[in-house]
Amino acid sequence: MMRGAWTVAWKDFRVLVASPMFLMVAGLCACIWSYNFLPQIFQFERYAARAFQSGGGLNIHQTLFASHLARVNIILIFAIPALTMRLLAEEKKLRTYDLLLTVPITAAEISLGKFLAAFGAGLALISISFLYPLITLAFADFSLGPLMTSYLGMALIMGIYVAVGLFASSVTESVVLAVVMALILNLALWFLGQAAEMTDQPEMVKVLEHISVPQQFVNFMKGTLKVSSLLFFASAAAFFVFLTERVVESSRWR
Amino acid sequence: MIEVRDLTKNYGDRTAIDRLNFSVSKGEVVGFLGPNGAGKSTTMKIITGYMAPTSGIVKVAGFDVFESPIEVKRRIGYLPETPPVYMDMFVQDYLKYVARLRGVASGNLNSMVDAALEKTNLQDVRKRLIHNLSKGYRQRVGLAQALVADPEILILDEPTVGLDPKQVAEMRKLIHSLKGQHTIVLSTHILPEVQASCERIIIINRGRIVAEDSLAGLSKRMSGGQKLVVRVRRPSSRLEKGLGDVAGVHQLRAEGNVLQIDVDGAEDTTEAVANLIVAEGAGLLEMKSTSMDLEDIFIQLTSELGSAQPTGGAL
Ligand SMILES: Nc1ncnc2c1ncn2[C@@H]1O[C@H](COP(=O)(O)OP(=O)(O)OP(=O)(O)O)[C@@H](O)[C@H]1O
Ligand SMILES: [Mg+2]
Repeated sequence: MMRGAWTVAWKDFRVLVASPMFLMVAGLCACIWSYNFLPQIFQFERYAARAFQSGGGLNIHQTLFASHLARVNIILIFAIPALTMRLLAEEKKLRTYDLLLTVPITAAEISLGKFLAAFGAGLALISISFLYPLITLAFADFSLGPLMTSYLGMALIMGIYVAVGLFASSVTESVVLAVVMALILNLALWFLGQAAEMTDQPEMVKVLEHISVPQQFVNFMKGTLKVSSLLFFASAAAFFVFLTERVVESSRWR
Repeated sequence: MIEVRDLTKNYGDRTAIDRLNFSVSKGEVVGFLGPNGAGKSTTMKIITGYMAPTSGIVKVAGFDVFESPIEVKRRIGYLPETPPVYMDMFVQDYLKYVARLRGVASGNLNSMVDAALEKTNLQDVRKRLIHNLSKGYRQRVGLAQALVADPEILILDEPTVGLDPKQVAEMRKLIHSLKGQHTIVLSTHILPEVQASCERIIIINRGRIVAEDSLAGLSKRMSGGQKLVVRVRRPSSRLEKGLGDVAGVHQLRAEGNVLQIDVDGAEDTTEAVANLIVAEGAGLLEMKSTSMDLEDIFIQLTSELGSAQPTGGAL
């Protein structure tokens, strides 16, 4: 049943990572991360030495890696829509959508396949960002646990961005519109958490904190894996893939 | 193989097709003929499961298109008006991708792709980027894509549109060669197309079927439908007058030594015409009986309906 999804995923993934757009995005990401991260290693070294002299210590996860991950997140908010914008919008525009809708695969397979393709490309971007903490391993000795859970969280959040971008691409024929919509939705998702600080009602705060991406992400950064957080991220992505499936299916009813 | 019952499609308040009824049996080659905007593409899109109708039923190989779309799609190879090709893929990779999507087993992929390339004569460009192919070749890639899973039914929407005359001829030859292997439905607004390829014709205009018959039957139905073309050595007004008086002759035109005689199609009439020419000593050189031109039929049918039904879809 899921063979169609894998077929779509594998083809789109290969086309995506070989596209100039992907190479540009990946190159840009590497530049930005290098520009920010590398000087910070040395800065961190100085601070850590000073802290050590005065008898204390610095947590590398909460300082160096936390700010790196914050930057990775910001970049992904912009980079993922650039990778997802073409997924369905361009198929519609170039009429290859006609092919997808008349071969024996379901709307669910199309949506899932497209999601997996872009998720794979997103993982490639995240792997690039993972190189930086890895480099640090050469200088410093630290436990890998919190780094791993942070990156798991990052990958899940990236999954949400991909699903959102896919959905945006499914409702329009224009790649520009797709990228703008995805960006707005991503930012809205991220800032939903900030709303928790603006309300006084305790119940409201609780709800908002629960559906806030940054709040949930904090758990991952601490090195703790909460089932509820995992479930939250996975279901948020699944929700947007489901919406995409509905849109694809409904295109028969024009 | 294909059954269409009371098929209706409205785009908003515009009726694209209006209660169509027809069926196509296994192995038939059916031509869907109609002017621009007649509703040919709309009908084909509904049969392929691309689009749902407003009302009506389509059954393909016994499966209802709306209840079991996957079963129907498994049996149909579809070439839309615009060939659905990815410009950034190689011909061979593209066909392999479509074959996978169409459910060809992994073990058969290569042989199926090779067969489709061979049928459409694309072996030479199999390693080329589709972007770099000419329009005619892209169209052929589109056809190869429809063929690749060896479907029972081929639905081809204007397969020769936009091609130069040489490529049109090649495409026709290609479609001709597919006869017998698949049930084929093809649409066109060019008459020679159906004359070249189809056994049965459905003429559609403003969303309605105006005629449905075999090629020969359709020609015959029109005003008796026969025309005699006669070449004589010594034309004369006496001969023309005499011919005009033969029972069964409707009309007669003379151009030099060629006489065009519209007749009722009865063998008696043909015999009487031949006898008279010989008796007149006009020197009969050639005499052939032809069907009335399909072009005449088409124009007559579509314009008849157009005037009878001014509230149709198109303006
Ligand atoms: N997506 C659409 N929205 C609104 N009207 C449409 C749409 N598609 C087709 N139509 C209308 O439906 C009618 C039938 O169109 P269709 O494309 O089926 O015609 P056709 O016979 O294929 O014509 P052509 O020879 O130009 O391809 C036309 O009047 C057309 O304007
Ligand atoms: Mg059409």
